[in-house]
Amino acid sequence: MASISRSSLLRQVASVPKLSIATRPAFQRSVLANAARATAFHTSARRDLLPPLPQRVQGTVNDPVPVPPPSPSHGSYHWTFDRLVGASLVPLTVAPFAAGSLNPTLDAILCATLLIHSHTGFKNIIIDYVPAYRTPRARKFFVWACNAATAVVGLALYEFETTDVGITETIKRIWTA
Amino acid sequence: MAALRSSASVMLGAAVSRPALRSAAAAPAAVRGMAQLANGAQHSTTASGDQPRLKTFQIYRWNPDTPTEKPRMQSYTLDLNKTGPMVLDALIRIKNELDPTLTFRRSCREGICGSCAMNINGTNTLACLCRIPAESNAEMKIYPLPHTYVVKDLVPDLTQFYKQYKSIKPYLQRDTPAEDGKEYRQSKADRKKLDGLYECILCACCSTSCPSYWWNSEEYLGPAILLQSYRWLADSRDEKKAERKDALNNSMSLYRCHTILNCTRTCPKGLNPGLAIAQIKKEMAFS
Repeated sequence: MASISRSSLLRQVASVPKLSIATRPAFQRSVLANAARATAFHTSARRDLLPPLPQRVQGTVNDPVPVPPPSPSHGSYHWTFDRLVGASLVPLTVAPFAAGSLNPTLDAILCATLLIHSHTGFKNIIIDYVPAYRTPRARKFFVWACNAATAVVGLALYEFETTDVGITETIKRIWTA
Repeated sequence: MAALRSSASVMLGAAVSRPALRSAAAAPAAVRGMAQLANGAQHSTTASGDQPRLKTFQIYRWNPDTPTEKPRMQSYTLDLNKTGPMVLDALIRIKNELDPTLTFRRSCREGICGSCAMNINGTNTLACLCRIPAESNAEMKIYPLPHTYVVKDLVPDLTQFYKQYKSIKPYLQRDTPAEDGKEYRQSKADRKKLDGLYECILCACCSTSCPSYWWNSEEYLGPAILLQSYRWLADSRDEKKAERKDALNNSMSLYRCHTILNCTRTCPKGLNPGLAIAQIKKEMAFS
């Protein structure tokens, strides 16, 4: 019942977008109206990033959902590669400290693996939260932004490895600073 | 969250734990024990029956006939001395005696049909398997399954769930006839692989507890359907394993599982969809 007793306060907040509601297209108007209605029900803050669409049933209720074409490079190969990269990071991270000496080649491999690991990780986040069927242009933008960020970081790491002390030595120095 | 679960699991403790469900011999004994325990508890309270034990249930209400009215929580107070031990008993009593407009699905009242799946005190479970916690006076909150389109009150729309189930072809696919022309035989070891998979009743508790399924239910199949998928992949009699794997081999259908394991935690039947999905991933990685 807390949500109902709090509703009058929240309704004032929720009514703010109603000022310009008439000028918006029909879909947005219904979404905004729904948001106003739902705000009074939910006690937590409601941010309308990708609000749920009205229910649509593709075909009849008795049709199966379409099965996507098989693409192992986005499926099993991708997943296996991710796990291998993730697993190889453990010995790579420990090796320089266990050995007590620095090998520039090992350091470069560590850099490259870290880069691939974070790239696929960010890509996974984008696939999860920016659905292609719903926001195809935003999806494209985020994927390319991720690619660009990886390229920039890759270039920076290359410069750092070739002209500076390298990543393991940096962390060592920061650790003891 | 484990503590929020029905006191059924607390009281029965080890009796209905996962391994017990697996072994066919132990399960019936445990279930019989539960019934006796429930009867005993009720008799003792009605015998002592001095004062009413009141419990308030807050239930999500939304009526499609008045779509402009926002959903609300409605409180009902029952005397637990006159109510059965499970949440479903309370719901049925509310519908019979307090408010006939309350709507929910129910059928078997013994955890085998999966109709009464709902969110009780923050956990997806079957109302018929969820004991009303007698030891605390806290209100119980009952919502429909999260992130589903609501048909009315506690009734979720499972159209997409069933359409996805149909898409995995949940039936035996074979081209070669049986050797003796009678039935498809299976060794005991092969049959054992299906234990923990065939018991799934498709109540949708696990799928609707999965954040990945919340965000991507259009394309990701969700734990319940993937457990069923593995049930057919693990079946020694099925001959379309390659096709089944191909159908899952894309970025969305299977690999949106991030091993969150809400599915395993919430399953009212004590199954392990998370393990089944991991087995599919393992089989697909090394094939």
